[in-house]
Amino acid sequence: MSATPKTTLAKTARTKTAIGFPKISFWRTVVTLIFAAGLYSMYARFALGFKAATNLTDPQPWGLWVGLGTLCGVGLSAGGFAIAASVYLLGFERYRPILRTSVLISFLGYSTVCIGMMYELGIPWRIWHPIVMWNRHSVLFEVSWCVMLYTTVLALEFSPALVEKIPWVRVRELYLRWHHSILIALVLAGTLLSSMHQSFLGGLYLITKGRLDPLWYSPYLTTMFYLSAIPAGLAVTIMAIYLCVRSLNARVDMNILSDVSRVIAPLLAIYGVFRAVDLINRDALQYLWMWREETGLFWLEIALLVIAPLILLNMEKVRNNPQNLYWTCAIIVMGFMTNRLNVSITGLQASAGIYYVPKWTEFAATLATIAAAVVAFRYAVIYLDILPKNPPPQRLMVLGAPGKA
Amino acid sequence: MATTQAILVDITKCIGCRSCEQACKQIHGFPANTETKLSPTALTIVEERGDRFVRRMCMHCQDPACASACLVGALKKSAAGPVTYDASKCIGCRYCLVACPFSVPRYQWSKLVPYVTKCDLCAARLAKSQPPACVEACPVQASITGTREEILEEAQRRILGDSKYVKHIYGSDEAGGTSVFFISDVPFEKLGFVAAPKQPLPLLTASALGDGPTVILVGGALLSGLYWITQRRAEVALAEAREKSAKERS
Repeated sequence: MSATPKTTLAKTARTKTAIGFPKISFWRTVVTLIFAAGLYSMYARFALGFKAATNLTDPQPWGLWVGLGTLCGVGLSAGGFAIAASVYLLGFERYRPILRTSVLISFLGYSTVCIGMMYELGIPWRIWHPIVMWNRHSVLFEVSWCVMLYTTVLALEFSPALVEKIPWVRVRELYLRWHHSILIALVLAGTLLSSMHQSFLGGLYLITKGRLDPLWYSPYLTTMFYLSAIPAGLAVTIMAIYLCVRSLNARVDMNILSDVSRVIAPLLAIYGVFRAVDLINRDALQYLWMWREETGLFWLEIALLVIAPLILLNMEKVRNNPQNLYWTCAIIVMGFMTNRLNVSITGLQASAGIYYVPKWTEFAATLATIAAAVVAFRYAVIYLDILPKNPPPQRLMVLGAPGKA
Repeated sequence: MATTQAILVDITKCIGCRSCEQACKQIHGFPANTETKLSPTALTIVEERGDRFVRRMCMHCQDPACASACLVGALKKSAAGPVTYDASKCIGCRYCLVACPFSVPRYQWSKLVPYVTKCDLCAARLAKSQPPACVEACPVQASITGTREEILEEAQRRILGDSKYVKHIYGSDEAGGTSVFFISDVPFEKLGFVAAPKQPLPLLTASALGDGPTVILVGGALLSGLYWITQRRAEVALAEAREKSAKERS
């Protein structure tokens, strides 16, 4: 008998927690697990070496860390330069409310790429070598310089969000005034640097002529990487802002998101037409109907990156419904990732003569870096002025109400 | 590069004794076991293809894809012929492995400080006017060395003089030309030779890189122009608004 009230209490307490924070505790568990796995991968990579941490081999020297970590990491961070250029250079003021968010996403995206480099490079402590040892004929040299410079640009572009929290007015104003004077130059440089290295990432594969599958090898790989990065980067921006509104109490006019989606659709259409014309020009249409894994993954990529989004974004109820828009953008992002993994892994498998499946530690390392970026993003949105926030939640108002009455 | 050194491998002459393999291992201080594939401890190997023996090694391209790919310039084509590797520059990006059309470079995957390994045509020996160790070890002169011109002439003489030879010198135009050549009486594709593109591969990326300055100039000008228009529009709008309010006031 005496135990009954206790159990009831415990039960109520549990149900209360369950109602209050089910999502958070679930995601916290997930993030903790990812970090634990990531920690082991870190140990495996740096204490045991490539052989223990990866399934990379001589025929497959670049795997998931390059395909997902670098190619997708950089590509999906293209939203920052696109929005910054639209607002500052083209004068599309209506995107200004989401400017900081997109710059923050890009900055965190590039940070994950830089951290990923530490895993990816065989001798990571020599990462500074390209600064002093130059080879102007190397696409990778240009990429490394662009990424270095652009990460700096992003840090500077984002810096006011941190600096404005400095309690000393003098320092704050001095910095912000200086920042204001270089801002346009920063945005201009950022746009050019992004355009260059987004394309050059595709340019890395120009040298694989005769080995990369004809479905993907094209002299216009550079243009294709550029054309696909912008809509994918914008899709990531939409997804992140939607999540901020849903779970971080941010206040954003959802019309902005549907405006962005109105830009994504024609960009994807241009990309799709470009891919089609390129395949026709290279006489590669025969490969579209072959019964092989490459062709299947090619169609998956096209379906996710071009066909499905174009159909969905053409529908009013998708464009104007944030949740539908969110899932459409998720499809675009998956299509984009399929594309980059196809170019870097699928398309090279046949000529490499091996079948590469990443080791779990490769996944874990990449996931942990992404998770760290997501956590950083969350805290930035909570503690910095990234997005306007709604008035404090209701329970505070309830508390305040009796006082007034 | 008149004095470029080269190697000619005559597949019809190779008896598969693996002396070249062992000589290479010896000079590098690798364990003297027989390996079936190129590896960090086997910079040249002899493969059995039917009843023929085929040597694999770095082709020492005239315009090497690996050297153009290497972002720190660790790989270089030297005037004497070898494509050399400076381990002290390497950061381990492995783009050279991706770039090589012949899939030659190997990576020390199991080491904690891994480097790229590949044949360097015994560059140190060439500098002392000695032939590469593998060539010196060959008991039947299946591999011979000389200047690139001499070697190409000799290869030409052999394939034209004997009808059994396939009428192609592998390496003469592969990847824009190499410094290691093969002649054979069995079609090359049957011996596992790849059909590498016929142009120097760095040309493929050079055109893209050449667009860089154009992108900066044209893009920079375009964006600055657009920014100017945006600015101007804002100014005009502001002036108009001021005028309007001034009129309303008066």
